[in-house]
Amino acid sequence: MEPIISLKNVCFAYQDDQVIKDVSFDIAPGEFVGIIGPNGGGKTTLLKLLMGFLKPSTGNISIFGSAPTIARQPIAYVPQSVRFDKQFPISVLELVMGGRLSHLPWYGMFSREDKQAALSALERVGLLEFQHRSFGNLSGGQAQRALIARALASNPRLLLLDEPTASVDNQAEADIYNILKGLRGVMTIVMVTHNLQAAIELVEKVVCVQQSATVLKPQQVCEHFALGLYHTPLLKSAAKSETMGSSS
Amino acid sequence: MMSFLEALRTNPLLLSAVIAGLASSVVSGIIGAYVVVKRIVFISGSISHSVLSGIGFCLWLERAKGIDWISPLEGALIAGIISALIIGWIHLYYRQREDSVIAALWSIGMAVGVLFISQTPGFNVELTNFLIGNILWVTHTDLYILFGLDISILLCVFCMHKRFLIICFDEEQARLQGIRVNALYLLLLVLIAITIVLLIQVVGIILVMTMLTIPAAIANLFTASLSRVMFIGVILSAAMCFGGTALAYHLDWPGGATIALVAGMAYIATLGCQRRV
Repeated sequence: MEPIISLKNVCFAYQDDQVIKDVSFDIAPGEFVGIIGPNGGGKTTLLKLLMGFLKPSTGNISIFGSAPTIARQPIAYVPQSVRFDKQFPISVLELVMGGRLSHLPWYGMFSREDKQAALSALERVGLLEFQHRSFGNLSGGQAQRALIARALASNPRLLLLDEPTASVDNQAEADIYNILKGLRGVMTIVMVTHNLQAAIELVEKVVCVQQSATVLKPQQVCEHFALGLYHTPLLKSAAKSETMGSSS
Repeated sequence: MMSFLEALRTNPLLLSAVIAGLASSVVSGIIGAYVVVKRIVFISGSISHSVLSGIGFCLWLERAKGIDWISPLEGALIAGIISALIIGWIHLYYRQREDSVIAALWSIGMAVGVLFISQTPGFNVELTNFLIGNILWVTHTDLYILFGLDISILLCVFCMHKRFLIICFDEEQARLQGIRVNALYLLLLVLIAITIVLLIQVVGIILVMTMLTIPAAIANLFTASLSRVMFIGVILSAAMCFGGTALAYHLDWPGGATIALVAGMAYIATLGCQRRV
């Protein structure tokens, strides 16, 4: 099957600081991929490269067969809710309607279909009754679900999530993972996460990013995940085991 | 207060001043809301002070060279739009030293204005009016320009509001949706520049930021919808202009400074009341 995302020898540096080095991997349509790695390892940079917000210094990225800047519209991104201004005057419905911006005509009035798509997305994440509430008044978990609803309102083929369960409580985390479970197979999902258990249970493929990237199956790394290890020996041993597996 | 209302009926100059204040309130409430929520008060301050270069240049052309087909107000408008585009470009493509470069442009704009004015013969009453405002100085032509710009800004905001809302809240999301964020950001700054020129008629360059930010900042304390921030902002701005002009009339104070003082006091009082609650 033709990959939906393809990275070939991608490198990226912020001035002299090399963040991503010689990263290559493919993601097939409908796959659920977890990106893990230590802080500063380049996970968020990798997402920004996939969205075309950053350009690789060398190498090539292809999304839906074209460059990320061209292929943006079927992509939806769920950032961490904590980075938003809590005092910003925007309602939950207005936020989710933001996911329909590409459908907005020149005269600036959303159609009935656009509003319906936004309401359906809110219903899907269980926030329909909060549609008129201020985004800033939502709890951390609700805010994160509202951002997922905004992403879903755009009917994406590729959903990118940047640590969706960071700074939320256990119940909110379970709610978010339930939503994501429901989306598995419906669209391609790439999720940056620190939650190792989730990475094992939810995803079909793990990309461990620490400048370079190693692609692993969840079962290959679960014993190391339990210890919270991302260090190089783990990656080397995992890669070695993969090589040994393929040679045998 | 009765004598002020009576004076409004009998004095066309005062009536024009109040109409100018109300006309500029419409845009200050609406555009000010974007300035406050996008937190670009510093950028707006730089644009407002850079317009002095256009005013100084046009006054110099008129007095020293006898060229009078371009008025200081039109000069302010052109200078405001040019500085908005330059500042916008710096914000988008030169972020590392953004605040320092914008501060430099702020000073350069004022310096150019002061230099031209120093070469302009005669006593510059107009310059004082532009710096500290003189709402009584508004002519019929100025009123027509004010209404024209008011309508243009309202139409533009009507069509662009939802896009502006999203780029103010989350530029990355708008980019992913294929929205031309950079072009919209520059358009927003141009609208801010036009609004600033409108407000300069009322309160002057030095006090313009008060009217651009305070009504929206107060409104933002009471509602969680940007449209409502705009609506409340327009009403507050109109009330401040009307109240300030009335107070200035009774106390024989300068109009612009009194309006700005009323706005500032209202903001401090609102913050104080909010803390108590």
